[in-house]
Amino acid sequence: MKEPEEALAAARRAAAGTEQDDDGVSWTLEDPTLSSGQLMQWAILAPDEARVYSTRRMGKPITLVKRALVRMLRQYLNEVNAQQSRFNALVAAHVMRLEQRVDELERRAAEQDHPSR
Amino acid sequence: MRVSQVLCAAGPVDAVTNQAFAWRRKFDGWGWSGADYAARLAPRFRSAELKDLGELAPAADEVVLVHYSGYAAGLDRVAASTERMLLLSHNITPSRYFWATDPVTAGVCELGREQLAQLGMRAGAAAGVSEFNARELEALSGRPAQAIPVLFEPAPIPRDAVAQDGPPAVLFVGRLAPHKRQDLVIAAFARYRRTAPGAQLTLVGSPATEEFGAWLRELADRLAPGAVRFETEISGARLASHYAWADVFLCLSEHEGFCIPLLEAFHSGVPVLARGAGAITEVVGDAGIVLGAGDDAATAAEAVRLVVEDGELRAELRARGARRLEHYDAGRAAEQLRAAITELAA
Repeated sequence: MKEPEEALAAARRAAAGTEQDDDGVSWTLEDPTLSSGQLMQWAILAPDEARVYSTRRMGKPITLVKRALVRMLRQYLNEVNAQQSRFNALVAAHVMRLEQRVDELERRAAEQDHPSR
Repeated sequence: MRVSQVLCAAGPVDAVTNQAFAWRRKFDGWGWSGADYAARLAPRFRSAELKDLGELAPAADEVVLVHYSGYAAGLDRVAASTERMLLLSHNITPSRYFWATDPVTAGVCELGREQLAQLGMRAGAAAGVSEFNARELEALSGRPAQAIPVLFEPAPIPRDAVAQDGPPAVLFVGRLAPHKRQDLVIAAFARYRRTAPGAQLTLVGSPATEEFGAWLRELADRLAPGAVRFETEISGARLASHYAWADVFLCLSEHEGFCIPLLEAFHSGVPVLARGAGAITEVVGDAGIVLGAGDDAATAAEAVRLVVEDGELRAELRARGARRLEHYDAGRAAEQLRAAITELAA
């Protein structure tokens, strides 16, 4: 076989006779639907101290210094987290309320369009 | 002529960063001056050649070449300060691929689409590195955009990077990210491996997030234990060796704005089997086997088997790949960009 087009047709014919694998991997990814729970989870900041590290080759001492600084500034950082989380949570809650209102309005509009349903 | 370049984000193995550096070498060769700026740097990336975007204050006769790849704070200020901005879109990955694994990147992509539209309306000239990107930019901005291909200047293949007699080797090169679908590559390879038990798959690329990299490794251990090798941040020589050892380059990305590794595969004489998504169909042309929307991992596995086992088919794909590279001749791309910049500067 020489032509790639022929090869593709042959591959399709051969694959048609085989069983699908149950490997959980789909050909096309589905659009993720972000749940309200996920939104709220992201809204409340919970930084992981393990993510404070040096990217240098011999960076272990630098990592220790960075983490010590984080601990020294904990009171201030907690305050920043609290303020940001409060804002995020308010926005997330507002978005959720708007979603509920949109759902309600769409339901009413559908009822008006099809009153017999 | 003075030309400054702007990168939305820069990193050590980032294709767009490498493009900017390659263009700077060309500009130097043409006797053009200027500096390069980045809005963000990857954590481990330090480059004396890049300045912070905040330092850019374009002179009246200076051309600003923006390599656009995602939202960048500060770009709007730059766009407002010059009429000589050439916007070159390298594509923005749709945000939907990142919400589950990397919401910050998802946000950057989401905002980027909006910013790209605004910049496209303001820019003195607009272009994309592929027809796919150019059309997307036109749709966003409502203004014409031309295609100026990437500057592909492959390094000569090292003498010690020679093909080895060994088990079949499948290769994919690209950042480990959801839209590049390395999970599907692993699944297709696992199916193929049933007919070629010794086969090896090599995935070259840094993970977009540690969690996503770990998930791919777990999947590989489950579907093809011991047969998948992950390589990150390797040298050019090591990469050339992987291309030399590969029997087939398997790209199942769901979205690509260009995909330079396809050209690297053509250059190295590796037959290409790819999914026709994004700009891939355009870049591959007739030089590879292009899978469609209705195909699946089983078809990909069968196609891999055919490419590995059929010498005549492999030879034809290699020949077509070599011909396809002529379309991406670096001299032609250089002339196109040079003309666009010169026109903007006039």
